[in-house]
Amino acid sequence: MQSSAFLTISDLWIERGERDLCKRLSFDVFSGDVLRILGENGAGKSSLLKVISGAISPLEGKVFYGGQEVTNDRHSLQESILYLGHSAGVKKVLTVEENLRWYCPSVSSSELHSALEALGLLSLLDSSVNTLSAGQIRRVALSRLWLSKQKLWLLDEPFSSLDAEGVGILEKRIMQHTASGGAVILTTHQDLLSLHSRDISLSL
Amino acid sequence: MTYLSFIKTEFLVLWRRKQDVFNALLFFIIVVVLFPLGVNPSSDFLAPAADGIIWCATVLAILMAIEGMFKEDYTDGSLEQLVISGLSLSLLMLLKTTAQWLAVLLPLLLMMPLLAEMLYLPDGSFWVLIVTLVIGTPSLFLIGSIGAALTVSLKQGAMLVMLLMLPFYLPVIIFATSAVRAAQLGLPYLGLLAMLLAVFLLSLVIAPFMTAIAIKASTN
Repeated sequence: MQSSAFLTISDLWIERGERDLCKRLSFDVFSGDVLRILGENGAGKSSLLKVISGAISPLEGKVFYGGQEVTNDRHSLQESILYLGHSAGVKKVLTVEENLRWYCPSVSSSELHSALEALGLLSLLDSSVNTLSAGQIRRVALSRLWLSKQKLWLLDEPFSSLDAEGVGILEKRIMQHTASGGAVILTTHQDLLSLHSRDISLSL
Repeated sequence: MTYLSFIKTEFLVLWRRKQDVFNALLFFIIVVVLFPLGVNPSSDFLAPAADGIIWCATVLAILMAIEGMFKEDYTDGSLEQLVISGLSLSLLMLLKTTAQWLAVLLPLLLMMPLLAEMLYLPDGSFWVLIVTLVIGTPSLFLIGSIGAALTVSLKQGAMLVMLLMLPFYLPVIIFATSAVRAAQLGLPYLGLLAMLLAVFLLSLVIAPFMTAIAIKASTN
């Protein structure tokens, strides 16, 4: 099961503004992997996740998914990734439930309830996101991890503005996901408490 | 995310933000009302000018409504989620523009009989005016969405959208007002309506793709 990589990055070269980031970066992602991207501020951690998700194009390099090159046509890859960026992608005028139904229209209400219960958001189901705190908004965004079926998670600073309990819940969920054959690429400045990760360092 | 859940959410957000649409419409009414008060309330002046007044006010109201179309999606990160959703970004943009168009046009049409009466619009040309609004305003929204997408990452984008898009709005305004005027004078106007429809179809083909490209460049 570990033998073939399902995502391969080869010779990636990203340019942002005038700066070159990730010169000639190559790595493989296997199912069951937790990949942690390390690097100073501005080293290109977020840019790397955006390139993998297809939000920005790399200057050079190739992305392979499931043995096929997807550098120019990301549709097959995008169907199996879940990307959570710095801004949560949560609409403030909608309620928690409406936000989640937007991303995951096909979940049943029992699935929705159990996901929100895991994150301690159940009582806020019908509250407008406007009234929530930064940590709660982050939890709303993260609840997509419980509801979606995507195999590869790209998480950009998922632990930011979470409390210690929230970090524990998220780490547990990441472990469940990798145990069932998924993979996670994340950037963080915090130490992972219970997760074992492979680290990739980006340098300026 | 699916296309259906996207369009549902768009309408829901528009409904929660109905104040924005209401502001644009209020602005439209104020402009129209100021003409009889400020220039001349007699039917000699208003009857021939009515279509022009209504169309200019419509264009201004639409420019106001369209400028902020992607602003909130951009700041809360949902625009980025649309780009990487795996769905066709052009189609999503077309759906979004359609939702915006319906939200502004339907209340605008509802007010039209009252405003037409107020401006002494000749009876025969009322329905022509309605037709020009129905087939002319989609072009304004489609073209405007390109400008809104291009300037979404700029802080002071509103003025730039107007400057960028106004030249492309001119043919729509000219053909629309000419059609109503031709109807008032008893001249054939179907050709002018056909031109308006042609502009609409052209922007329908081009605008969603241009908007998608501009969105991708802006979320970069």
